[in-house]
Amino acid sequence: MANPVPGVLGSFVHIDAATDAIRALKAKGYADLTVYTAAPNHEVEEAMEHPVSPVRLFTLIGGLTGCAAGFAMTFWMSNDWPILVGGKPIASIPPYVVIAFELMILLGALSTVAGMIILPLLRPTRGYMYDPRFSDDQVGIFVPCGADRAAEVQAVMTRAGSVEVRHETG
Amino acid sequence: MATVAHEHAVPTQTHAEVTRDVIATLGKPSRGYVLMFVGAVILFLIGLATFVALVKQGLGLAGYNPPVMWSVYITTFVFWVGIGHAGTLISAILYLFRSPWRTAVYRATEAMTVFAIMTAGLFPIIHIGRQWVFYWLLPYPNQRLLWPNFKSPLMWDVFAIGTYLTVSTTFLVVGLVPDIAAVRDKVSGWRKRLYGLLALGWTGSDRQWRHYSRGYLYLAALATPLVLSVHSVVSWDFAVSIVPGWHGTIFAPYFVAGAIYSGIGMVFTLLIPLRKVLKLEHMIQEHHFDNLAKLTLLTGSILAYAYAMEYFVAWYSGVSWEQTTFYLRAFGPMWWAGWTMIICNAFVSQLLWFKRIRTNVTALFIISIFINIGMWFERFVIIVSSLRNDFDPYAWGQLTPTWADWGVLAGSFGWFLMYFLLFARTFPIIAIQEIKEMIPMPRKRPGGSH
Amino acid sequence: MAADHTPSPSDGMNRRRFLTVLGVAGGGSAVLSGCSTDRIQKLVPYLIQDEDQVPGVATVYASTCTECSAGCGIHVKTREARAIKLEGNPNHPLNHGAICARGQAALQGLYNPARLTGPMARNADGSFSPVTWDDAIQRLTQHVSQAGARTAVISGAGVGTFTDLLEEWTAALGGRVVRHEPFDYEPLRAANRQVFGTDAVPAHDFGSAKYILAFGADFLETWLSPVEHQQGFAQAHGYRDGEMAKFVSLAPRMSLTGMNADEWHPIAPGSEALLALAMANVILSERSGAPADANALRGVLAPYTTERAARETGVGEETVRRLAREFASAKPSLAVAGGVAGQHRGAVEVCAAVNVLNYVAGNIGQTVRFEQQLATADGYAALDSLATAMDAGQVSLLIVHEANPVYTLPRSTGFADKMAKAGFKVSTASVLDETAAQADLILPNHHALERWDDLRPRTGVHSLMQPVMQPVFDTRATGDVLLQVAQAVGGPLAQFTASSFQAYLKDAWRGLAQARGSTDAEQFWVNALGAGGVFDSHAPATPITLAPGAGRVGYSPPEIDGDGELVFAPYPSPMLFDGRGANKPWLLENPDPVTKITWHSWVELHPETAERLNVREGEILRLSSPHGTIEAPAYIYLGMNPGVVATPLGLGHTAYGDYAEGRGVNALDLLGPPNGTGFVPYLSTRVRAETTGRYQKVAKTEGNPRQLGRGIAEAMPLELARRELSVEAAHYAETGAEHHEVNTEREVEAIAGFRESQQLKTQKGGYADEHPRWGMVIDLARCTGCSACVTACYAENNIPTVGQQEVLRGREMSWMRIERYFEGGEEPGEPLEARFVPMLCQHCGNAPCEPVCPVYASYHTPDGLNGQAYNRCVGTRYCANNCPYKVRYYNWFAYNERAFPDPLELQLNPDVTVRARGVMEKCTFCVHRIRGAQNQAKLEDRELADGDVVPACGQACPSQAIVFGDLNDPASRVSEAARNHRRYHVFEDLNVRPSVMYLAKVRHEREA
Repeated sequence: MANPVPGVLGSFVHIDAATDAIRALKAKGYADLTVYTAAPNHEVEEAMEHPVSPVRLFTLIGGLTGCAAGFAMTFWMSNDWPILVGGKPIASIPPYVVIAFELMILLGALSTVAGMIILPLLRPTRGYMYDPRFSDDQVGIFVPCGADRAAEVQAVMTRAGSVEVRHETG
Repeated sequence: MATVAHEHAVPTQTHAEVTRDVIATLGKPSRGYVLMFVGAVILFLIGLATFVALVKQGLGLAGYNPPVMWSVYITTFVFWVGIGHAGTLISAILYLFRSPWRTAVYRATEAMTVFAIMTAGLFPIIHIGRQWVFYWLLPYPNQRLLWPNFKSPLMWDVFAIGTYLTVSTTFLVVGLVPDIAAVRDKVSGWRKRLYGLLALGWTGSDRQWRHYSRGYLYLAALATPLVLSVHSVVSWDFAVSIVPGWHGTIFAPYFVAGAIYSGIGMVFTLLIPLRKVLKLEHMIQEHHFDNLAKLTLLTGSILAYAYAMEYFVAWYSGVSWEQTTFYLRAFGPMWWAGWTMIICNAFVSQLLWFKRIRTNVTALFIISIFINIGMWFERFVIIVSSLRNDFDPYAWGQLTPTWADWGVLAGSFGWFLMYFLLFARTFPIIAIQEIKEMIPMPRKRPGGSH
Repeated sequence: MAADHTPSPSDGMNRRRFLTVLGVAGGGSAVLSGCSTDRIQKLVPYLIQDEDQVPGVATVYASTCTECSAGCGIHVKTREARAIKLEGNPNHPLNHGAICARGQAALQGLYNPARLTGPMARNADGSFSPVTWDDAIQRLTQHVSQAGARTAVISGAGVGTFTDLLEEWTAALGGRVVRHEPFDYEPLRAANRQVFGTDAVPAHDFGSAKYILAFGADFLETWLSPVEHQQGFAQAHGYRDGEMAKFVSLAPRMSLTGMNADEWHPIAPGSEALLALAMANVILSERSGAPADANALRGVLAPYTTERAARETGVGEETVRRLAREFASAKPSLAVAGGVAGQHRGAVEVCAAVNVLNYVAGNIGQTVRFEQQLATADGYAALDSLATAMDAGQVSLLIVHEANPVYTLPRSTGFADKMAKAGFKVSTASVLDETAAQADLILPNHHALERWDDLRPRTGVHSLMQPVMQPVFDTRATGDVLLQVAQAVGGPLAQFTASSFQAYLKDAWRGLAQARGSTDAEQFWVNALGAGGVFDSHAPATPITLAPGAGRVGYSPPEIDGDGELVFAPYPSPMLFDGRGANKPWLLENPDPVTKITWHSWVELHPETAERLNVREGEILRLSSPHGTIEAPAYIYLGMNPGVVATPLGLGHTAYGDYAEGRGVNALDLLGPPNGTGFVPYLSTRVRAETTGRYQKVAKTEGNPRQLGRGIAEAMPLELARRELSVEAAHYAETGAEHHEVNTEREVEAIAGFRESQQLKTQKGGYADEHPRWGMVIDLARCTGCSACVTACYAENNIPTVGQQEVLRGREMSWMRIERYFEGGEEPGEPLEARFVPMLCQHCGNAPCEPVCPVYASYHTPDGLNGQAYNRCVGTRYCANNCPYKVRYYNWFAYNERAFPDPLELQLNPDVTVRARGVMEKCTFCVHRIRGAQNQAKLEDRELADGDVVPACGQACPSQAIVFGDLNDPASRVSEAARNHRRYHVFEDLNVRPSVMYLAKVRHEREA
């Protein structure tokens, strides 16, 4: 963890406590929260009120590209080296649909994964406080803030019922 | 279909217990495990030696007997591709169907898929005459601008299998990342560093989950048509030809059903011993097998119908060579193979109408062995008993497999098990995060859960 | 990787070998020895190029075939001074350009790995060690001068200038020459002496016969002059303009000849004479018009009634009468008898009876031509007396030339032991055969393709032989040896002053030139060399009348010794002949036309017999006679008289090279001694047959003997053919089923329209403009199944032989195969019919093999060929799976490295790739010949003419059943043949649009 980001990290055992904290913090104008959960959790999602992830765009574009690439490749190659087989047209669509379909799936999937990797990186979280228990059975909320506001954040979290609150002073 | 609400659909454990139990499987290997692994390696080495002999001296070592130009190798290829399908079905299709019972088993089946395809992928190379130029099947730029023939079903195979391997591998890896992170946070020393590396900096932050869940959904949505297409394409290797016994429109659905049937068979064969060795009985439970068994019953019955149809169409078509082929399939020199396939697939699967059998793990294991045998023979019968007696009676011939055939077959099992066992030891064989997703977290205000 | 380019067999060293030959060709005097790599410097002499050797251009020499006594003319195609293929000489009066499988395989005699590399002498310890020629000749000289009149020669050489020299040379010493061929025609000659008072063996004109009766004579396989007979038979029996001769075969076993008969009657063995006499009797008593002197025979023939014939031969009385009438009414007709298969102790009676039959039917001088006298060997009697002399120690020098009596005579004759008693034994064999193995001195003769000689196979035919290449090994023409010895011995032999046998031969031909009133003997000689010899037009028929002996014709059941319940009928193998083929892989792997078995011996028995003995195919049977025992796997065959078991001759060698040794059994071991018959009675033993319980899978290339009504080998009755019905219409006419259209008008149009549109989408790149479409028509009414085309294909296309073990796995590579299907014969009384279909790549327009290849290795050429790019092939074998005709062959192992042991690889055709391991191969329609002809036409600045391209199979076919050409040219012969109403495609329903078409066989309505 290179140069830690100053902020407050609260750990929660109870899910409703965590969501209370999130709502309270948001009400106090702390927009930039990072919530750690061991599994995707609807209540947290609702509390955070995120819009739908744009990863589907990656899927769509990748899929279309793959399909186009499939047809383009097969047709170009057949005409670049025209060879007659079985009295069939030099370039014929039906067999090439298979290739195009497979490439559509392939590129679609790969670009989706690319999206899943790229999108979170758009907003770097390097140096944010983290606790191994968040991948086990606790929910964590990290609020990046200077020493001045740390007290307030800690108060909110404790009131919401966090089991532990830590403060990182950069 | 299989979205059965089940009373113990939700494991009665806390998140902490789930993490503990799953990570426990990565501990010190038991004797049973070591034995299995050594066995697998030995089988693999046998296959390797056989392959070397084939490359050195030629495919003539195998029992090929023209007109039977494809036999055990292609049979085994289709067999392994088929195995793969159950994995994707359970991990992707059932995911879209939101059937909760899949969570306990899908990681294992997903892994099975990847390794089955890895195994299948070897066979096109093993079976061609000049293994050292297999790359000519790829459309790579070369100085003479020679391109492959995309009209050939074998080219479709290259793309279908290639795509399937890539996509199912990514699907598996993506599913693994949060669990690896969980492991990272539990272990220490070099293992912590290793898993830390593999976790790709996963923290489980809300942002990560947000894109992850969406992406995972789309991956599942892509894998679903893929799994159907792959075995359809494999079936077209045969259906597109004019060989009596291959040339049938029924083949694609028939093969897909067969693939899933054989795949679930393999799931039973693998998981029933594995959950014992890894002490996961309380997580992979009878009712999971029960549901799988229902799928088996369904696909098995589809097969029974397909078999019946093949014979009916052959008779109804009035085409002499179709009729001869199917007559000989049942009563010719290869009758034993033909009936093995029908009994193991069409009949044995019908036992699963009985709940007592579906919930009896031992019975399921025995049945699964029959399924594996039956499905291997299905491909063997379709390939060999069609080729050995096609249009020109003068050219008919009878196949007699040799050590070279069996060597490679054994090797393929070794190769597959080797990887599967390694995986089961190194990575959570049960999807930690998805199990947790189903277990409600404790709340300070009792009730009030939505 | 090595196999990416397809290498010539075991590369490197052979390239050098090949260049060595080049060098030697130029170097002239140098002799090419076995496997020498030490003459690479001989590359240089090719700078001075031999005038008739142009690298890359074939040089053809005319010569004469010596593989049997027929003496067909051949053209030897040489490339870079290696003989690479034998074809028939179109100018030759006997074979008119055709050639049989055995003839073509002479090439493998020339390049046989078992050939002796030089002269050898026997040591004290009985082993052989090489000696120099000088030493060898010096030794022979010494023995010749000592032996003098006590010299004897056994020669199997055909009559010609060499045999003249041999006769004179031996006569000068006071010794004697016995001309021995295993299949001599003594019974025929004896019968002719008896009935016509002439010793001659006549020529038989099958071509003009309208009705043919064969009393056991296998005239299409081994009898007298098979190629000539086959051509004549195809001409007479091949359907043309509503006419075809009828052929009835009367023999205990259905041989290849019998398979081509319209009727075959499995008569009781030995009863042929009775049948012939009964027929003659019917003809004489029912018809006038028989030659006057024939009527004198009425009395003689009277006792041979149809009743008796029916009783003793097993042929129905009515049938006998019918056959007799048909035979007499068809003019001219032809009856033939003799031949090994039916050669029992009563063989002379049979031939005599058939002579009478021909005489009363007025065929003598018509189809039986005594003015053309065939050269035959001395009978067994002569050899027997020589053997006795040797036994008595009266022979102190024995020279055996081109004969292998130790193998070809039944062991019971004790010839080997008698020969052992001869003083000094010299052999001129070029391969260490059974007889040579007993010799004290071996002076290997040049192969027929390496030496000068000529043959006079029959009156008026002077057929030349010339060396077409430098000798492969350090051998020497026996003619030269004789002359050198003569000069060394002097005295009685001093008269032989010719410097070389070539000189002696030219001398003889000078005489021939004068006799033909040619002033310029040299020109005469050169012309003769070019034409392959001198061929006189036929002398006028000499009138033949009955001799007093004719009155003595008669029939008595031939004595058949042994106590077994089955009559043993050994027969000469159509491929291996008398056994000389047994060291030639082409002949061993070319399936027996009847059983389709390769590489080993077998015992044929009728299903009933098999049932009685309770044997399945492949169970090893032990046949035992008082004289010996053989063991061979059973082959169950409907075409047998149930009382007979048959085994082919030619295998069971104890010497004669690796290919032959220890392979199969020698059926002669079961035979008894001739005892006074002037010939070897082959069909003269009863045998006991018992199963050994052991099993050996029969190495046959056939999967299923029945075509299951799939219309592969089509045939139609003569009546329907005369009505010019199509094959389909003939079916409806025969079965009475009614014809209905499969598709409606609209469907037919739609299909046509779709085909149009698809066609347009194929007109890209090289496919755009006009091209020929190569096609082939095979007339099944002419094809006799002789399999000459198969060997031709092996020779032309460097096809590897794979050996017995691989054939057992069905991996033979025969691009061209003859499929033999049986019809009927299962119900009692139902006649058995055999049909032959030459099956090769059909070069389909919509080839199923093409689209499935992932790498375009199998593709369509603009001129309609189904191409196969060996170098591109990765070996998925999908094409072979998808080929309905199963004519694609796969290199499971590196056959190219196994099949041509040194020096066999010298036979390889440089125009054709030698395929590597792991690739698919198949018939190319001899694409190299097509391109060659096209280039030639271009060079001569002309259009390619119809008939310029002849594939190897079509070239060899003695029946001229194969027509090849451009289907896009409506005037071509192939297009014309394709318009024939008998034309059909195999598996037409598949719509693969083959370029190969078949003309349905035509058969006379069969009466059982």
